Amino acid sequence: MSVFDGFKFRRVYSPIHQLDPRVKFFYVLVMFVIAIMFNQLLPLILLFFIQLPFVFVAGVQREWVRSLRGALFFAIMIFLFNFVFQYFWTEYPLPPSPSLLEYSIAMTLRFIVLIESFSMFFLTTSPDHLGLALEQSHVPYEFCFAFTTAVRFVPVLAEEAQTIMDAQKARGLELERGNFIKKVKNYIPILIPLIVSAIRRSLELAEAMESRAWGATEKRTNLYVLRVKRGDYLLALISVLILIFAVYVWIFHREQIPLLTNFLAPLELTVTKIS
Amino acid sequence: MAIIETTDLTYTYPAGTKLSLQDVSITVEQGEFVVLTGPSGGGKTTLCRCFNGLVPHFYGGKLEGNVVVTGLKVGEHSIYELARHIGLVFQNPENQLFALSVEKDVAFGLENLGIPRGDIRKQVDWALEITGITDLRERPPHELSGGQQQRVAIACVLAMQPNVMILDEPTSFIDPVGAQKIFDVINELNKKLGITVILVEHRLDLASKYANHVIVMDEGKVVLDGEPREVFNSDSARLIGVGIPKATRLYQILKEKGISLKKVPVNSEEASQLLREVLTHDRG
Repeated sequence: MSVFDGFKFRRVYSPIHQLDPRVKFFYVLVMFVIAIMFNQLLPLILLFFIQLPFVFVAGVQREWVRSLRGALFFAIMIFLFNFVFQYFWTEYPLPPSPSLLEYSIAMTLRFIVLIESFSMFFLTTSPDHLGLALEQSHVPYEFCFAFTTAVRFVPVLAEEAQTIMDAQKARGLELERGNFIKKVKNYIPILIPLIVSAIRRSLELAEAMESRAWGATEKRTNLYVLRVKRGDYLLALISVLILIFAVYVWIFHREQIPLLTNFLAPLELTVTKIS
Repeated sequence: MAIIETTDLTYTYPAGTKLSLQDVSITVEQGEFVVLTGPSGGGKTTLCRCFNGLVPHFYGGKLEGNVVVTGLKVGEHSIYELARHIGLVFQNPENQLFALSVEKDVAFGLENLGIPRGDIRKQVDWALEITGITDLRERPPHELSGGQQQRVAIACVLAMQPNVMILDEPTSFIDPVGAQKIFDVINELNKKLGITVILVEHRLDLASKYANHVIVMDEGKVVLDGEPREVFNSDSARLIGVGIPKATRLYQILKEKGISLKKVPVNSEEASQLLREVLTHDRG
């Protein structure tokens, strides 16, 4: 599934990768909040472009583009829903007009901005770092452990699912046959062994954890510590400035944000005059 | 000094109908290399679980008799207290590694114990060095081969500096070359660091040359207990279905044919030495 490709971490080192995940997450939240605040096209376009430098500094353009391409289907759906449903199924139907078109594009772009910032976060943050950040944000250790272990076992379970699928196919199971319901049912002989083996695995895991002094002390130490560095302060500062600017605009100039179609209107006028 | 001592140990799993351990009384001395063997389902794994408290604390059920490990009564101490002294390495390396990098995994036990960061760093580096995986420290465990994973698992336990290390069939998921490397590491722990080793193993050809104490279990009971030569050469070992070392089997076959070697060999080097002696003797 290509949407998720955009969330897979790859071990590379760049200034962005070195940043503290907490600060990066704050930045993502700021982007998120601003994207929700505005529903006009202009600020959303700005928001889209603000993030590009980060992507290029981190050197994850390819994965990032792939995640956006994966989101394309949803983006198109959002566009169509906004455009078509505003026209047909509301109490005050809006006729298809340039401004409705702009509104629909803005809603689509809002979704893309959200995907963009989250995928940037996951592409440049190692799950290890993320777990550490959770721990140092006073999230109970059990949750952090569950999180990192889940990430650790994703490839293992994927491989196991593949093995089970091959084994069942070798015994004559046909996965792609029948209508939709039949196809779903076909997957039962794969799911059951997978779940059983996952439960077994978890028992062995628990044994291994116990054998390595799980729960010995309340105050656990950690091999690594996250330290907030200069770059982190810089990113935090940039995020705060962007947020302040956005809130300022939202409070005082919300109504004055021009529609892009207004820029186009004078052009149209001149065109009619000439003809 | 006995580092592990069990007396009349009897145990049934809560869901089980038959006894998993029945009157097990064994003694393991400090610094020994014990090979624990016998048919599957014979209670070897259950016995290992008794040593570090997984039985009865984790599995429940009632444990009768006495187990004392490094001076601690297992029934009265929690698993994490015992974990400082006894390390347990499991069969499947994949399911005992849960961090996203090797280094972090090795540090896990020490972190749980709340040891200061500087000491963790030192002990982790030391454990990685001894098991020969220093260059893998940044790698995620699932990208490693089975043999490498198992060495990481050993390092994880070793980092906690236990007195006793128990390895439950550590090589059953691993190819022969990888297995040999693991045996070398285990042997080094025993010979150089003086850690008492209990190795559960079926591949006696590889394991027996390190052992100085062999215990054979079947149906929850200890059937044979003693010196490797004695145990491997006894008739009951073969009858139970213990895969005795081929060198020992060769000795028995030769003996039936009327050729007796000076002593019972337990590995191929010894056998070839003894055979050479006999052959030169005959010629001369």
